[in-house]
Amino acid sequence: MSDTVNSKRGGARSGAGRKKGSSVYGESTRAIRVPESMLPELKVVLGLRKQKARNTSDHSAVILPAEQLTKLNIPLFNGKVSAGFPSPADDYIEKTLDLNDLLIQKPAATFFVRAEGESMLGAGIHPNDILVVDRSLEPVIGKIVICALNGELTVKRLKSIGKEIVLGAENPAYADIIVQEYIELVIWGVVTNVIHPL
Amino acid sequence: MNSLSAPGLIALVDCNNFYVSCERVFRPDLCNKPVAVLSNNDGCIVARSQEVKDLGIKMAVPVYQVQHLIKRHKIQLFSSNYALYADMSERVMQCLEPYSPQIEVYSIDESFLDLTAICEHSSTAYAQQIKKSIYRATGIPVCVGMGPTKTLAKLANYAAKKWQKTGGVLDLSDPVRKEKLMRLVPVNEIWGVGRQTTQRLQLMGINTAYDLAIQPVESIQAQFNVVIARTVMELKGIACLSLEDIAPDKQQIVCSRSFSRRLTQYHELAEALASFSSRAAEKLRKQHSVTGSISIFIRTNAHNENEPQYQRSIRMVLNQASSDSRKIISIAKKLLQEIFKTGYRYQKCGITLGHIRPAAISHQADLFELSGHQQNKASQLMLTMDNINQRFPKGIAISATHMTNSWQSPVEYRSRHYTTNWDELPLVKCH
Repeated sequence: MSDTVNSKRGGARSGAGRKKGSSVYGESTRAIRVPESMLPELKVVLGLRKQKARNTSDHSAVILPAEQLTKLNIPLFNGKVSAGFPSPADDYIEKTLDLNDLLIQKPAATFFVRAEGESMLGAGIHPNDILVVDRSLEPVIGKIVICALNGELTVKRLKSIGKEIVLGAENPAYADIIVQEYIELVIWGVVTNVIHPL
Repeated sequence: MNSLSAPGLIALVDCNNFYVSCERVFRPDLCNKPVAVLSNNDGCIVARSQEVKDLGIKMAVPVYQVQHLIKRHKIQLFSSNYALYADMSERVMQCLEPYSPQIEVYSIDESFLDLTAICEHSSTAYAQQIKKSIYRATGIPVCVGMGPTKTLAKLANYAAKKWQKTGGVLDLSDPVRKEKLMRLVPVNEIWGVGRQTTQRLQLMGINTAYDLAIQPVESIQAQFNVVIARTVMELKGIACLSLEDIAPDKQQIVCSRSFSRRLTQYHELAEALASFSSRAAEKLRKQHSVTGSISIFIRTNAHNENEPQYQRSIRMVLNQASSDSRKIISIAKKLLQEIFKTGYRYQKCGITLGHIRPAAISHQADLFELSGHQQNKASQLMLTMDNINQRFPKGIAISATHMTNSWQSPVEYRSRHYTTNWDELPLVKCH
């Protein structure tokens, strides 16, 4: 037997153990701590890395996920960034005006309808105007309401004369309707605004 | 199974004849008149007013079979107006929000509410209030069923609808009332008990809800399956089904339609298929998912025995999952080429997206194929397209989906898009 064999006895044997880069990823690995929430993503990335390692020796194609970007609305009012002196208007930034805030209290109960006819001209309701109707409001005397009158949606002002309820027109050419039992009357909603193009 | 220590209270709020009720909100003249809503293509009756139910017209019956009744009783027909129904549904669900911290929107017209510890004194008064406020705000009538489990809430709702004496509201928490009712309800009316199960149960002499509720859970599980066993437990008042806050993403997206006339040409079918594909892809992106497989089918009218019959479907598994309309359409058309045969009159086609998973996870896979930049551009493009189409219905379409749409379903009796289109608002009279 040769010398070399004898002198190696008891020590490390060359070529024994796991080969360098023999892991499923084709290179050496190391244990690290990662946030639990990232595990699913990392597993996917590692899985792909494994596949890639099996197929080729090129690892460059694995790209880690970028942070998910969120959308940021920048107010239009922002002053120009000028070095040194901040715009005094920046302190007054508010959100942009939304007409819905003005016209709609309860979105789930709000409907838009289109007016036909001229009986409500006195209330500022012209033919083709869009009315904003809130169904959830209490139909009290004095309000303009949409009612189902003999099966038709109709706009009237709710009035009372003595003990009787009256559906009033706002145009002298049209007669008021005194609510009697034979007329089926259902209040459909209360008109809150008129949208009238000029 | 998470049985609660103290009995909870679950409510099911379910709209009455929902599609019909939506139509009636804007047509007060149809109150108390027979009204029916038809399926896509105006083929079958899919929603009936009480008056129509009373005439003995069953659910899903083809229109031609009841044409004589429609004429004689002047039944008002409507084509499906999904834009309207979806909007009204949204309103109803919004109205429910203040009433419970935990709500599961179960379908377009029903929601489960957890009312545990909310209405300690009178659940029925609370439910009446819910019912009233929904009707007030939206014009949609609902019934409310309550019980310690979802299955019992469902059963209570069935009873609230069926027996007017309840005033549309019923709580089955009281064991005596529960037993009394369960003896009256046939077993097939129980949530989750299908036709086949009913047949098998009846052979065993189990005919009513009560009969099923008194069965030992173990023997039902042994003879049927865990689903029916859970139903039995739920009927006993032990909660097995929890409220799902967030609807699970769809595992499969199907988009198919019958044509208004028979199609014979490849390009006609391709156009229809492209349009369905585009719709399916839109649904896919809406739930932020990608699809791993695409299958399509075409078929002739199986009911017409005088014509040659043909039907085929074909599926393709994608190398890389995608939600790109362009890719999905082009694959669908390629698949159509494989199975299309001339000489047949086609009645229906459709597309099914399968192997659906969240886009966030599979995003990585795409990076091998498309560079990050390209990928980004593609999803930007789809996002822009979806946004435009949301704002302007029928806004833009992929070039393959022709705008002729000659195959499209008739919507002969469609009412206006009262709540979703400025040009179709309800008209109110000033006279």
